[in-house]
Amino acid sequence: MGKQYEIPVGAQHIALLEPLHFKFTTENEKIINTDANVYYVHRGIELACCSKFKFRQVSFVVGRVCGLCSISHTTAYSQVAEKLLKIEIPRRAKYLRMLIIELDRIHSHLLCLSHVAENSGFEALFMKTMQYREFSMELLEAVCGNRIQYDFSIVGGVSRDLKPQVADSIISRLKTFMPQLDELMDIYKHNWTLSLKNKGVGAITKQQAMELNLVGPFARAAGLAVDVRNETEDLLPWKEVGFEMVTETAGDVYSRNMIRLRELYVSIRIVNNIINGLPEGDLITETKAFPEGEATVRLEAPRGELFYYAKGNKTQVLERLKIKAPTFSNVAGMVKGFEGNEYGSAPAIIASYDPCLSCTAR
Amino acid sequence: MIKIETSLANLKKDIAAFYKPELHHFMVMNAVDMGETMEIQWFFCDYAHPCETTCFYTIINPAEEIPSIRNIVVSAWVAEAELVDLMNIKVENTDKGFVLEPDFESGPLRKKK
Amino acid sequence: MKTFFKALGNLVKKPVTTKYPFEPTFKPDDYRGLIGFEESLCIWCRRCEAVCPPGAIVFSQDMEGKQTYHYNRAVCIYCGECVRACPKEGALFQTAEPAPCALKEENINNAWNKLYPEAIESRELYAAEKKRKAAEKAAADKAAAAAKKESEDNSGATA
Repeated sequence: MGKQYEIPVGAQHIALLEPLHFKFTTENEKIINTDANVYYVHRGIELACCSKFKFRQVSFVVGRVCGLCSISHTTAYSQVAEKLLKIEIPRRAKYLRMLIIELDRIHSHLLCLSHVAENSGFEALFMKTMQYREFSMELLEAVCGNRIQYDFSIVGGVSRDLKPQVADSIISRLKTFMPQLDELMDIYKHNWTLSLKNKGVGAITKQQAMELNLVGPFARAAGLAVDVRNETEDLLPWKEVGFEMVTETAGDVYSRNMIRLRELYVSIRIVNNIINGLPEGDLITETKAFPEGEATVRLEAPRGELFYYAKGNKTQVLERLKIKAPTFSNVAGMVKGFEGNEYGSAPAIIASYDPCLSCTAR
Repeated sequence: MIKIETSLANLKKDIAAFYKPELHHFMVMNAVDMGETMEIQWFFCDYAHPCETTCFYTIINPAEEIPSIRNIVVSAWVAEAELVDLMNIKVENTDKGFVLEPDFESGPLRKKK
Repeated sequence: MKTFFKALGNLVKKPVTTKYPFEPTFKPDDYRGLIGFEESLCIWCRRCEAVCPPGAIVFSQDMEGKQTYHYNRAVCIYCGECVRACPKEGALFQTAEPAPCALKEENINNAWNKLYPEAIESRELYAAEKKRKAAEKAAADKAAAAAKKESEDNSGATA
């Protein structure tokens, strides 16, 4: 047994994208134990949602939980509030929600991929991926009127309609993005330098993924077929718009990259299908009811399963709102994934987890 | 959502009888402060269709210690540590200082008396 | 190797970024910008104030009952919820203009933190004053009615 060293990484570190603290115990450059702390960005959003804000305003508050998956949070909250109010939203609103969730997934996955490239030491690929990502931000801005905080889902429906010329520009921009995505796929798949830092690194087996209850691309890369889009049909009709499960088997950083890239193809197909088959109708269901009872909602955010629990008491202010973000489920797996890897690989592994700490700590 | 009532004494037995890693995944623990008492909930979800959410719940006195289920569900320590910090309750073998600073005294989600 | 040559080729290409302060960036036509207010159309229902998530709109009221609209662009999140809640078409509207930066001289947040409770208080004062006047009027009416009744009774008695 060699001498053991403890290396702290974070809360501010050049390889970390989020304020997260890891304490690695290493022996001969191999990580043998990891400790994690997430307490740097707690903002008390759950408390604010059940004390200061009325239930219709909360959908704008939970959008601020996370910048990257803002639309997933607002949609999940809107759905749970609609369950409490016992209303059904128009079909057009459902399709528009799915459209924004998928556009958001495109930009979030590309961001994660670029950071994996950066943390693996491939700066040029980082810039290239970011360059290709810009179109999705512009499309989101064109649809929602803002680049990051979309404020698109509101309780009862959606706040804005999709204009025909914006729909046309989405189709044409996606067409120009397809060859770019093929190019990225080629680089991430075949580049030798990148494979040294990605193949066989940070691996998690399917059995471990099951035991640690992992979600999202992290679990799917290990071969565990979990995707809320495949499981629920009642709130958003994912199967109708051509959703298809994507899984890999290796569970390492490379297969996480592959999962994200292959999911982009699925997302693009879904966006095209939604725009071609957008039903006519209202955007919002009006109601004067107050939230009552308990309800839970699950939704597939870019990082995995998002879970909302809400309890209403027939007043304007909710009794309790619980948010479970995808990264929260993955913390246990994140700590496990480092074991047996070299310390030098840790940055690439952290980026491939795609951690979102402001979701986790709230 | 299926709600199953349990008690602190039977909790480990009930969850061990229910939980199969290849059939369900553990999602999160939650607590609802109801003034004098507190409702603690454990959420599970099926992998297979129709993916029903199952909730084990028990109503406790906030001063009681809750048994830990991390021997049955390995990843439950994250949810337990969060609840200890936010709700200021006691869970077996869990210290403060995961979601909030270790010296943060009161549970922010507890109702003010 | 292919990537390496591509990277070399990129050296002589034009930059893909826009030279932002000198060139305009992409902005959609219906960008969510500043909230506009048309005083002549407003019916003073204060529904926008009630729905605003961050509390960026507040109405103050003077003793004659005239209300004034106050809006803080630094608190506003540009969600457009006030525009959706407004019952009168055109009184509140969302422009495509991005908010200008707040300057130190404006003292925008401190002034707002002072103004907000004052505005609420001014409304309460007006409501209390109105209540007092109504109570006074009711008392006066009651006294007048009683006096009238008394005189009627007296006239009846004399007759």
